Amino acid sequence: MSALYENSYYIASVGLIAVGLYVMVVKKNLIKVLIGLSLFETGINLLFIAVGYLAGGTAPIFSTHSLLPGRMVDPVPQAVVLTAIVIGVAVLALALSLTIRLYEHYGTLNLRKVRDLKW
Amino acid sequence: MVNPVLLIVTPLGLAFIIPLLASVWTRSAKYIPVVGMLFNLIVSLLLLRHALDKPVVVTIGGFPPPFCINLVAGPLGLMLSLLIALVGFAVSIYALGYIRKGATARYHALYLLLLAGATGAVLTGDLFNLFVFYEILCISSYALVAYLGDRDGIEAAVKYLIQGSVGSGLVLIGIAILYGLFGTLNMADIAQHISSVEPLHLFVPLVFLITGFGVEAAVFPLNAWLPDAHASAPSSISAILSGIAIKVGVYAVARVVFTLFDASGLFLFLVLLGLLTLLVAEMSAFSQSNIKRMLAYSSIGQIGLIVFAFGLASPSGISGGLFQLTSHALAKALLFLAAGYMIYRAGSMEISALEGMGKKMPITCFAFTIGVFSLVGMPPFIGFPSKLLIIKAALAQQSVWFTVLIALALAGTVIETVYFFRVVQALYFKEPTVNGQTQQPTGSVHEAPFSAMAPIYGLLILILLLGIYPNLLTGALDSAATELLERAAYITGVLG
Repeated sequence: MSALYENSYYIASVGLIAVGLYVMVVKKNLIKVLIGLSLFETGINLLFIAVGYLAGGTAPIFSTHSLLPGRMVDPVPQAVVLTAIVIGVAVLALALSLTIRLYEHYGTLNLRKVRDLKW
Repeated sequence: MVNPVLLIVTPLGLAFIIPLLASVWTRSAKYIPVVGMLFNLIVSLLLLRHALDKPVVVTIGGFPPPFCINLVAGPLGLMLSLLIALVGFAVSIYALGYIRKGATARYHALYLLLLAGATGAVLTGDLFNLFVFYEILCISSYALVAYLGDRDGIEAAVKYLIQGSVGSGLVLIGIAILYGLFGTLNMADIAQHISSVEPLHLFVPLVFLITGFGVEAAVFPLNAWLPDAHASAPSSISAILSGIAIKVGVYAVARVVFTLFDASGLFLFLVLLGLLTLLVAEMSAFSQSNIKRMLAYSSIGQIGLIVFAFGLASPSGISGGLFQLTSHALAKALLFLAAGYMIYRAGSMEISALEGMGKKMPITCFAFTIGVFSLVGMPPFIGFPSKLLIIKAALAQQSVWFTVLIALALAGTVIETVYFFRVVQALYFKEPTVNGQTQQPTGSVHEAPFSAMAPIYGLLILILLLGIYPNLLTGALDSAATELLERAAYITGVLG
């Protein structure tokens, strides 16, 4: 049980990734697929944060002498995830604007009906 | 010596200057990519001379590696950035006359961003930085595929965006696991300590990274987006996507497999994957009636051949793969650029609509034919030495299996020859037909404008020149192959 508790962030992030991928594969509506994509990216961000997380840790700033490096949260994953979130937002914004144009052309967001292009 | 950072900063900065400048003087926007790429071309050439002696390592922020984000301008990175600048330069001249409709200033800004992302991805020495540049490349290509805003373009862009984002997500998972294992994102630092971790733990991030980058590299079965995206984008963008963007994916896969993981157990897998990609794509290309889709499938096939050559993992194999990469970038850019105006003239992308085009646009069709000859590997064009090198490298493995595999790859090339020559036949030896009736060719000779002819014939001259004197290229390619194979030299080159 304690192992489950210690790894809860990893379990949650893998769960989010799996749910996101499931939604993307199964749902027909483009908006729902993009929600799945968003969940997928959130899961990855959580995974990255969990790698450097320390329960009860502080920010890595040597403000007082009593702070030890062992009690600090690794800042690199947080900086990385900040970048990843920004990239995710850009992708999502582009995807939603494409969705609007897709609806203008096809009159539907059902991806099973949007298939002019084939192999 | 020039700082390699300029190769990334210049296109990136110019890309953001374009909207500002365009609001004052709209017509100026299209000249900026030409200037930026010419600058990159010159700087890459200047740097390549230094890099052949010793990789130029740039640290950013004043910290020594592995604590900073660093650029590693080795022979491989600079050779690719030279290729990116060259094809980018040619296509930016082509776009001067070709891109007329829509928000042209945004087109040129996104185009420069795409090239900045590609250049950054091949020069960086930091894994997460590679991801960021890769995403810049991907996001701008999603937007550029949808540039025309028509039905097909939007659908292709949506498909490309969804598949590409999943691929990028998988890359990020791989990076997260690697960071958890090593606590560093510097590629040389990870490569140095890779043997200290149990192989089974490395397998998971390796699979994530290869699958993720494989989406952009369009290896089978991750290439469903490519024919749609390449066929629906404007022809200038198809040329860049086929010539540059998928090559960056291949570079990333090669960097991960060779430098980062030293995954020798994976080489045979790469050979088989490349062969499968080649055969499936060539057979799909064979059944296409749309010329741009045919060219797109042919690109997948060529990527298969490049991956096949990389999988041989011998110096001559990798050098042959890089030669093939160069020759395909030049020839396929030429083909897409020439096809762009042929389609414009015919009003349709169907091959049957291009019948008799050889009489209407003789000079453009001549260039197209030379591109076809080079791509299928006929001497004296650049496609010949590149395919010859790969065959020699495969036979040098001294194994019956590799002889069989290269024979299969050559069978794929034969299919390629058949469908390409069918197009050439349609161009020259068929009269245009309407409702089954042969028509006399109407319409006078009307060629593509000079802004299209100049890059097309520039590429053609390069194809011929490098085909006759392959030695101009082999020196740089051999040291690039050495950079991939000799990890120890890469690690000491970066970490000192």
